[in-house]
Amino acid sequence: MKQKLLSLIFVWTCLVGIAFAQDRQVRGKVTSSTDGAPLGGVSVLVVGASIATQTDASGNYSIEVGADGTLNFSMLGYVSKRVKIANQSTLNVELVSDETALDEIVIVGYGSTTKEAFTGSAKKVDGANLQQKNTSNLSQALAGEVAGVSVVNGSGQPGTAATIRVRGFGSVNGNRSPLIVVDGVPYSGNLTSINNNDIESATVLKDATATAIYGSRGANGVIVITTKSGKGQDSFIEADVNFGSNMALLPRYDVIRSPEQYAGLSWESLYNYSQAIGGYTDAQATEYANNQIVTQGSINIWDVANGSELIDPITRTVKSGVDRLYDPENWEDYAFQNSNRTDINVKFGGSNDKTNYFTSYGYLNDQGYSINSDFKRYTGRLNLDHKVKPWLNVGLNFNVSKSERNNNGQSEDSGSIFWFVDNMPSVYPLFERDENGNKIDNPYHGGFVYDYGENSNRRFGSLTNSIADATYGVDRHNRNELNGRGYANFNVIKGLTFENSFGYQYYNNNQIIKNDKFYGSAASQGGSLYHQNSEMNFYNFLNLLRYRNQFGDHNFEALAAHEASSYNLKYLTLSGSGLVDPNSLDFNNVVVSNPNGGYTEDYNLESYFGQINYDYKGTYLLSGSVRRDGSSRFKNNKWGTFGSIGAGWVLSNEEFLANNDVINFLKLKASYGLIGDQGGVGYYPGYDVFNVVNVNDEPGFSFDSKGNEDLTWETSKMFQAGVEFRLGNYLTGTVEYYLKNTSDLIFDRRIGPSVGYALIKVNDGNLRNSGLEFDLTGHILKGSDYYLDLGINGETFKNKITKMPIDPNTGQPKTLDIQGTAGWAVGHSIYDFYLREFSGVDPMDGRSTWKVYYTDNNNNNEFDAGEQIPSLNQFENPDNKEIKEGTTKNYAQATQFYNGKSAIPKLRGALNLRAGYKNFDLSVQMLYSFGGYAYDGAYATLMGNSVVGSNNWHTDILNRWQKEGDITDVPRLSNNATTDQNVSSASTRFLTKANYLALNNIRLAYNFDANLVSPLGLSNLGVWVSADNLWYHSARRGFYPSTAESGASDMYRYSPLSTISAGLRAKF
Amino acid sequence: MKRKFYIILLAVASISTVACKKDFLEKTPSEQISNEQLDLLAIQDPTILNGYINGIYGKMFEVGSGGTTGHDDFGQKGYDMYADMLAGDMVLAGTNYGWYSNIANLTATVNYTVNQAYMPWRYYYSIIYAANTVIESLGGNDANPEEVVKAQMIGQAKALRAYAYFYLANFYSKEGYGTGNEKILPLYIVPGTVNNPKSTAKEIYDQMVDDLDDAIVKLDGFSRGNAKHAVNQSVAKGLLSYVLAARGANADLQRVVSLTNEIISSKEFNMTDSLEAVANFNEAGELQNLQSGFNSVSTKSWMWAVDLTLANNLDLVSWWGQVDLFTYSYAWAGDPKIIDDGLYAEIKDQDIRKRQFDEDLWPINKFFAPDRRIGGQRNVITDYVYMRLDEMVLLNAEANARLGNSAAAIASLKSLLKLRFADEADYSYVDGLSGSALLKEIYLQTRIELWGEGKTYLALKRNKESLTRGSNHLFYAGDTYQYNDPAITFLIPQAEELNNPNLNK
Repeated sequence: MKQKLLSLIFVWTCLVGIAFAQDRQVRGKVTSSTDGAPLGGVSVLVVGASIATQTDASGNYSIEVGADGTLNFSMLGYVSKRVKIANQSTLNVELVSDETALDEIVIVGYGSTTKEAFTGSAKKVDGANLQQKNTSNLSQALAGEVAGVSVVNGSGQPGTAATIRVRGFGSVNGNRSPLIVVDGVPYSGNLTSINNNDIESATVLKDATATAIYGSRGANGVIVITTKSGKGQDSFIEADVNFGSNMALLPRYDVIRSPEQYAGLSWESLYNYSQAIGGYTDAQATEYANNQIVTQGSINIWDVANGSELIDPITRTVKSGVDRLYDPENWEDYAFQNSNRTDINVKFGGSNDKTNYFTSYGYLNDQGYSINSDFKRYTGRLNLDHKVKPWLNVGLNFNVSKSERNNNGQSEDSGSIFWFVDNMPSVYPLFERDENGNKIDNPYHGGFVYDYGENSNRRFGSLTNSIADATYGVDRHNRNELNGRGYANFNVIKGLTFENSFGYQYYNNNQIIKNDKFYGSAASQGGSLYHQNSEMNFYNFLNLLRYRNQFGDHNFEALAAHEASSYNLKYLTLSGSGLVDPNSLDFNNVVVSNPNGGYTEDYNLESYFGQINYDYKGTYLLSGSVRRDGSSRFKNNKWGTFGSIGAGWVLSNEEFLANNDVINFLKLKASYGLIGDQGGVGYYPGYDVFNVVNVNDEPGFSFDSKGNEDLTWETSKMFQAGVEFRLGNYLTGTVEYYLKNTSDLIFDRRIGPSVGYALIKVNDGNLRNSGLEFDLTGHILKGSDYYLDLGINGETFKNKITKMPIDPNTGQPKTLDIQGTAGWAVGHSIYDFYLREFSGVDPMDGRSTWKVYYTDNNNNNEFDAGEQIPSLNQFENPDNKEIKEGTTKNYAQATQFYNGKSAIPKLRGALNLRAGYKNFDLSVQMLYSFGGYAYDGAYATLMGNSVVGSNNWHTDILNRWQKEGDITDVPRLSNNATTDQNVSSASTRFLTKANYLALNNIRLAYNFDANLVSPLGLSNLGVWVSADNLWYHSARRGFYPSTAESGASDMYRYSPLSTISAGLRAKF
Repeated sequence: MKRKFYIILLAVASISTVACKKDFLEKTPSEQISNEQLDLLAIQDPTILNGYINGIYGKMFEVGSGGTTGHDDFGQKGYDMYADMLAGDMVLAGTNYGWYSNIANLTATVNYTVNQAYMPWRYYYSIIYAANTVIESLGGNDANPEEVVKAQMIGQAKALRAYAYFYLANFYSKEGYGTGNEKILPLYIVPGTVNNPKSTAKEIYDQMVDDLDDAIVKLDGFSRGNAKHAVNQSVAKGLLSYVLAARGANADLQRVVSLTNEIISSKEFNMTDSLEAVANFNEAGELQNLQSGFNSVSTKSWMWAVDLTLANNLDLVSWWGQVDLFTYSYAWAGDPKIIDDGLYAEIKDQDIRKRQFDEDLWPINKFFAPDRRIGGQRNVITDYVYMRLDEMVLLNAEANARLGNSAAAIASLKSLLKLRFADEADYSYVDGLSGSALLKEIYLQTRIELWGEGKTYLALKRNKESLTRGSNHLFYAGDTYQYNDPAITFLIPQAEELNNPNLNK
């Protein structure tokens, strides 16, 4: 219904536009005189009339004007230009950069500056770049736009936000996420509630100068989002519609899809098992496998009586002439779908000398490729600014969002569709079969009864069926969200303003999980219902005094401020069972109620801060800031002080470069600062906490975790040096180097659990991140009606622990802390793998071998049990013995050690190509990463050796060891024989190169000539086709290292979604 | 000019006065509760401190109390299952989901990296830490507070500490109690922040005995009402009986005899009768004796048990889920736990306990949710038993037999068998037993009576027996293991070896 309403509005606005059509049409393109690049956002005004327009992103404009009129072209940072029409219908204009006015405005912390006057690192991304991607929110759209920013898109579920990392891995156990600021207010809501189309720009602040003003929240970068305004624009209506299709275009793992092939492998597995365990002869083993194949694995879809009729023991494959009773479904066919994506936006805006406004309505319906996974969102925004008095400006930014997200089939257990699709042995059907192999009608829901394995004795995911559950169940988030800001700015005297702002964010999210009344886990209790209601309130008060003035060649700005923030999130949980109406999601529909629960998470933050910026002739730049933050998260040591200094030198303003034809612009900059982080410690890390347990209706306080009342901020000292340049008309770029030492790390220090707990949060240890980032754009071709720009950005960085926390047992720093597949130790990164090393398969018996370092205590020159060094990095070698290398078939004896591989890539970033020819614009964005490794655990599961029928295999299993003498690196299958239990345990065998090259976005647009569309009353009309995630190359099909921070795979992951869409935008 | 003055005033006032109230930066948790909040609450209502003791009882059935998210991590009853599988009498008859498979195939015991080696260690030491914290807060190990309530809290805490050390000493010490000089476990009797080295078995057992002796004194007169989750004096005596029987000196066994006699003769509990022991059905297949099923705390023989309700939020991750066909969980979903066929064969046909198992050897007539609907119990409200009187009777028989008091041993044993056989002639053969044959019979009856209750492993170790896996084991069928075989005792977990540099000092 709402979709129709929006369509109507769109049509209506078209009609209105036509009614106002007038005069003749002049069109043209505005470019920059320095590099010929098209200039978007240039105001084009008919002198003496109130007709105006703006150039689009490609610099094109069209406007109605009388034949003898004059057009005024203006843009900040460029010298305005007036041109007479003189009967021309095409008017291309070059604007000259205004050397003194500098270039584009960049919004930074608590203020704005220009790119050229800024001493820090701030990369501005235009909204247009973000909006050309088919994503629901900023986080995914940011991928590839900024050097040093990595976007980890952990789920293809529509409406989820990606994980963003700025400059390496900032902490060990603390927070690593950047601070998000929306229209000046630190943001605690959900990025998905902000319509991508409302974003004017996003600026990523990376170094200390840029982020220290955010004090304790700036250590992992800051992303400043500015939403659109109507400033400087005549009243306009703009509408766009975008229709597309989502699909599972990127391949999944290659797995065994043939039931016969699966049966053959299973037979072999049983055969080997009986030999491994029982020492059977060939005949005995054959008999054993024949007897077990049907019963043990429940592999019984063929018209045979027993295993000997099914399998040829020589070829170990299904005999010819054996027919299936029925064809088991390929589960993927029922799990995935091609689905629709609709994105419609209508925007209004305008301004006069006192007021400007922008308002928008958005509708997004984004359906995932996995069944019942979707995201539907309505957004509305009002941005208003009004000059009440010459000394008073007031304004409002207000955003509302209502969304519904269905997440069916994505739990990290047997409810996962993705786990089922890859790991379901191909012999098991999706739908239950009767004794004749026929599907059974479903009396409750229609269709057929899904197979839960109850009668078929399916060994994988017994008693569950994630596709059925995703079909009949509900897993939904209904979220209503408000965020905004009201402000009043007082001009006290010239240059002195007092700015007062109140930011507020609110959401109410109701998560609803319903399990079906008739099938699945809750069938025995008549269905079940669960609600978790979470309500978030966040407010922020800011009082800021700013003084800005110019004294001759000296530009000066200073500010002082106080800010208080308060965050409060309340949870309420209800659950029950026994649904009367199987479809109702209300609790009066529930017969049996379970106990309810609820709690609050909250923190407050109070801050005082100030900043000074100074420049002389725009050539010598200096800035400094200081901030003192107090946080309720810390019990005894609440307050921390942070600050930075930065300096810049614009060499190209100096005499000696004044007339240089090559170096048009050159700036050197450096900064140093202290920044902190308070996240990642939970909300109450200072306390020893207890779970409240009901013990016979009396309260019980069960010890949960140990607090640390002395815990405080972790502090990063960050140094940066960089250069920004523009060489002729060919190349613009930025290169930056940073070194960031983080001390007082928030560290989950492990302790021998016999003390009563396993870890404690401490401030200890140091971590160093250092890296080089570059962002280069080459203007390769340029002509009057074509251009080609090629941009490349990237980063290379190192991460190193420089000090480990003190072990109170010894008073010395800990030697090693093992964290899953990684080991933390001085001199190593937090993503250096510390694993057992797989040393191949013994050709004699097909068993896995692993490397063991040992001390040859009995001097027999071979490894014996008990001589192994379990963990090489911790081995002190008290007797100074020679360390020898050997191999073992006992996984537990193998040595864990650093094998020199790390998850940190050598180089990663993006390639951006933009080209235009006449009315066409093409952009292509590719993401790349080289030189890292990742642990492919999902593949390890598919290469496992579990009992037959309990898991599917990757097709690489076809390379397995089969007989004595086989040289291979895939061990034998042996039905989980006790000797082979660790074949897929963590080892270097599953470390995989994490290199990838991905076609992130490609878009082709056509902008109609203004004289064609002006009779329709349009000032601008464009159409485009766009595609996301069309192609992805990695070391293995189905392996997507960009979907996790460490690159590791996960068998439950919703792998990336591909979208192809077409859209239209019209402006009146 | 006036206006400017006002604005400046406003600005200065705003920046200085909005400076927040003093308590703006004070926040306390509400999902969980901190000891400081509890201390404040105790000023108003001192009885709330008893919640610290209750919390330890809560941990005994808390999901995740072993520090993992495993579906075999649900407190004491989870480790009872480990014990039953290591002892071989409980057979894991399917591995569809694979919980317990590395216990059943004896790889968890030789691999110190796996969670199954870690969880019991983590769980029992967290009980010890909690008990130490309570004892410390009430004046320490030597305290004898005047206030009865406080003394009783110390008594319970000490008993719980001994309980935890006792299970650690079984699970992590190959010999059980060997010479006493073997170093087995780190010992903590105060809450600390530094790891201790291993102490000897003698030191550990001496501490347990001291703690339980003191607990028995302090719990004299302690009434726990109708609830059975708390350790009262009888439970403390029962725990002490186990500890002493495991140490096994003659003087220890003498005390076991007298302690168990005290418990039995106190009449606080009755033995599990025949109607409670096994389900009976009419011809229509309907359950006739609702008191059967080992599912209710109201069973008169249960000495130490907990009444589970919806409020405890237990579901498939629970002992009931793992063992009971009638609970929606793993037993039903392809990982059934059944009786070893060798042991089943040794149960006499006339013994009503033979009927506790169906033809597939599933224990569906011993343990079952009362509804008896397959996969029916979704939220677990059937109860957990930790100790019952029948154990005391069997311990009494065993201690007497070990001391050579055959007559007393036989009398105790028969007091149980009388409830398991309809005809006295079917068990009168025990009258003719003595010496090791009698001891073997008592051991066999212990295994039969307490199948699935986590006690056989303790009996195996203290009697220094061996086990032979029946033919229905998925792994190592037919193999025999001595009580001190490394395959049936856990190694100290990697997390301790890595993070406790003092361990072997």
